[in-house]
Amino acid sequence: MDGLLQQIFNGLVSGSFYALLALGLSVIFGMLGVVNFAHGAFYMLGAFGAFILLDSFGLSWWLALFVVPAVLGIVGMVLERTLVHRLVALDPLYNFLLTFGIALILQDLMRLRYGVQSQPFSRPELLDGSLNLGLFSYPKYQVFVLLFSIVISGLVWLVLTRTRVGMVVRAATERADLSQALGINVGRWVTPVFGFGIALAGLAGVLAAPMRAVNSSMGGDLIIVIFAVVVIGGLGSVFGSVTAGYVVGMLTAVGNFYLPALSQSLVFILMALVLLLRPAGLFGREEGVHA
Amino acid sequence: MLRVRGLTATYGEARVLQDVSLDVESGQVVTLVGRNGAGKTTLLRCLMGLHRSMEGTIELDDRDITRLSPHQRCRAGLGYVPDDRGIYASLNVEENLTLPPTVGPDAWSLEQVYEAFPVLADRRRQAGTHLSGGEQQMLSIARVLRMGSRLLLCDEPTEGLSPLLVQQIGDILRNVKAHGVTVLLIEQNVHFASTVADRHHLIAQGRLVESLDNAEVKEREHELLEYLGI
Amino acid sequence: MTTRLKAAGVAVTTLALCGTLAACGGAGGPSGGGGSISDDKIALGVITDLSGVYSELAGENAVAAVEMAVEDFKKEHGEDAITDKIEVTKADHQNKPEIANTAAREMYDRDGVDAIFDVPTSSAALAVATVANQNKKLYFNVGAATTELSGAQCNPYTYHYAYDTYMLANGTGKTVTEKGGKSWYIIYPDYAFGQDMNKSFTAAVEEAGGTIVKADPTPFPNDNFSTFMTKAPTLNPKPDVLGTMQAGGDLVNVVKQYNEFGLREKGVDLAVGLMFDTDIASIGVKPLAGTQFTTAWFWNLDDESREWADRFKEKTGVRPTFDQAANYSAATQYLEAIQRAETDKAEDVTKELDGYEFEDFFARNAKIRAEDHQVVHDAYLVQVKEEAEVEEDFDFTKLLETIPADEAFMSVEESACEMG
Repeated sequence: MDGLLQQIFNGLVSGSFYALLALGLSVIFGMLGVVNFAHGAFYMLGAFGAFILLDSFGLSWWLALFVVPAVLGIVGMVLERTLVHRLVALDPLYNFLLTFGIALILQDLMRLRYGVQSQPFSRPELLDGSLNLGLFSYPKYQVFVLLFSIVISGLVWLVLTRTRVGMVVRAATERADLSQALGINVGRWVTPVFGFGIALAGLAGVLAAPMRAVNSSMGGDLIIVIFAVVVIGGLGSVFGSVTAGYVVGMLTAVGNFYLPALSQSLVFILMALVLLLRPAGLFGREEGVHA
Repeated sequence: MLRVRGLTATYGEARVLQDVSLDVESGQVVTLVGRNGAGKTTLLRCLMGLHRSMEGTIELDDRDITRLSPHQRCRAGLGYVPDDRGIYASLNVEENLTLPPTVGPDAWSLEQVYEAFPVLADRRRQAGTHLSGGEQQMLSIARVLRMGSRLLLCDEPTEGLSPLLVQQIGDILRNVKAHGVTVLLIEQNVHFASTVADRHHLIAQGRLVESLDNAEVKEREHELLEYLGI
Repeated sequence: MTTRLKAAGVAVTTLALCGTLAACGGAGGPSGGGGSISDDKIALGVITDLSGVYSELAGENAVAAVEMAVEDFKKEHGEDAITDKIEVTKADHQNKPEIANTAAREMYDRDGVDAIFDVPTSSAALAVATVANQNKKLYFNVGAATTELSGAQCNPYTYHYAYDTYMLANGTGKTVTEKGGKSWYIIYPDYAFGQDMNKSFTAAVEEAGGTIVKADPTPFPNDNFSTFMTKAPTLNPKPDVLGTMQAGGDLVNVVKQYNEFGLREKGVDLAVGLMFDTDIASIGVKPLAGTQFTTAWFWNLDDESREWADRFKEKTGVRPTFDQAANYSAATQYLEAIQRAETDKAEDVTKELDGYEFEDFFARNAKIRAEDHQVVHDAYLVQVKEEAEVEEDFDFTKLLETIPADEAFMSVEESACEMG
């Protein structure tokens, strides 16, 4: 029983990454109709950002936690203004290709500079060691990751549900076209939302650096899983993608435990089931979740 | 008030509207009648700026709005009630009402809306899509009233509603008209149309083929019903 | 005909060399024996991973090692060298068998390559071995670990240098078990290499009297091993050793998370199936300190190795991995065999190679087995140093035990090879 509880906890921790990444991917997709294939690359850049700040500037990981997402958010806004924006009116395929290309370029640039081997990165000292959670003890750092991602998701939730900005973003994410027709200048919100989504991906990367291998390919395969998470949660549902993030995390952890051979495909099996039974996703447009 | 000239719209290779010209006078309720696929919805989407592959001009109060984006047209006074009602699942009822900006001096206050639609007041905290079909339709119409739009573009508000609800929608539209709001209405139900509207435009295969007043509609009701396949 | 061609070739080369280097005396070019060299040159091809996950442990620097072998060969033999026209070409196979297959064909057919070297990734190596056999040209596998190359899929034109999964398992699996790590929990990446490693380790551990409590396949690639880390101490019986067969970035993830979950403190030691110095550099010495693993060679093994590693660093700027050292060794042995055979004809060269016993800085007590073309040599059980013991860059490991050549590799009797 302890074993299962612990697996669920494991799942929540890895779900934290899925949730942060899916949240960003989902708002970007909702507003622009663009599956941002570069999302994983920005996750990678987040981890490298933490590494570079520490390695070249001696700045602590704690500082990176704020600086890196902010910088990447700005990079994201510039990217949206200069490139993504120009293609939005065309077939979504163009932006697929654009962001896919950007992902490859970013990956290769980092590979050119840092090679394929992982960069060394250790936990911040404050979060070294384990924490006794009563039933079992758990690495302090991972407890922090879980709490931090919950706090961030919570803050985003508050902004989305309690402010006018949040309402506009929710509406535009759910149906960008209709929101335009209802007098919302969606275009004005696209750039900051894109930057915000990228910043979240970067934040996930910073959080990953101390516990995962920091290398140029670390975000490469992630985008597929994250996209599945967003589909499971329901395209256009911000709450759905966060919830699905944690659900998929737990499912994978428990699946790894009981059916290690299947663990790679579990998330896609879930996606297929969800698409068959509820094509709009767990929290998709048809049913919806209260604000 | 609204003047459309030579409007032609395409979907890929297919022409869905061909050289449509149309006038709607201020304060009138005008319907677009026609079979499914005749191009009515596309016409409304063109007017709203949501369908971009089109030619021709659209003027609102002598102002050319053809090049304006949808949100600018909305602010110019167009209120859109889409065929799927356009209720947000991730917004509650009150948020659905307050999302759009107010665009005219005659914008209803929330209190007025709730007074006119008590059911919406009761369910103001529920997710928009948790309402029944008829309630969602009311919400959709209430939303444009709260904006204070001068010209409502309503895409089949009675579709799939019970006769009682259809009657209610009729009351609302007459009420709206009494407030001096102009309405362009897509309607399959010819009988219902003749109870709320002043003029009727018949659209067939992307062309505007005839314009009728209520008397003519009454006279030719059977012929029309047959044509519409009802 | 061939002699005339050769003479012309030598003349041209000599002229070119004299022109560029201005280092020729009046004595003229080297004059080899009376043997024959095809196309009037010896061409070595390196098929390796130039851009992907193995590009640092093999990659450009494996090519550099082969080039170094060529330079050293020329220097060593001077005017007596069979030819001084020795070329090195390279190709990137992106670790994909179909690309490796095409690259090998092009090298043999179009570029006149006489022998191919390296080829990390087992499936790609097996593809190249097949092409070598069809073309009757040589292939020295260095980068791939599968025992198939000198086992069921062996052929007269393919040699297996450096290391294989048997060597890794036999070294680490057996020794760790004998030292008290009786029960094992193995996690392996779910593809050919991982499955092969799991098989070899299971056999080695059981032979040494240990038990495998459980062996779990893990997704590949994978960044989250927490499930396996929490599972390990709860297994019944509790394993003494967590055996990880992951490589590259996945290995880094495993080790980071092994430390996160404090498994060492919970009495579960870590044994690593395959590790390169480049991996240790990624993870850092501290989290790995004390970890045991088997290697074919390491650069500061002794003075002779260090001397070569210093020269390598001068050329490339980094310390060599065992793959790169083994490529140098393989290329050297190949060129020496040509020198002895006085021809680069594959069949004659293999005659020189088969059964040959030698010793170089990389391969100690080495023998090229005629029966299965396995190159056997001493292997080393090593331990990652404590942080305080590290004296210089890349000074990561210390020697625990030398595994003698005849024990390090599968015996001929065990080998499934039937040379056709």
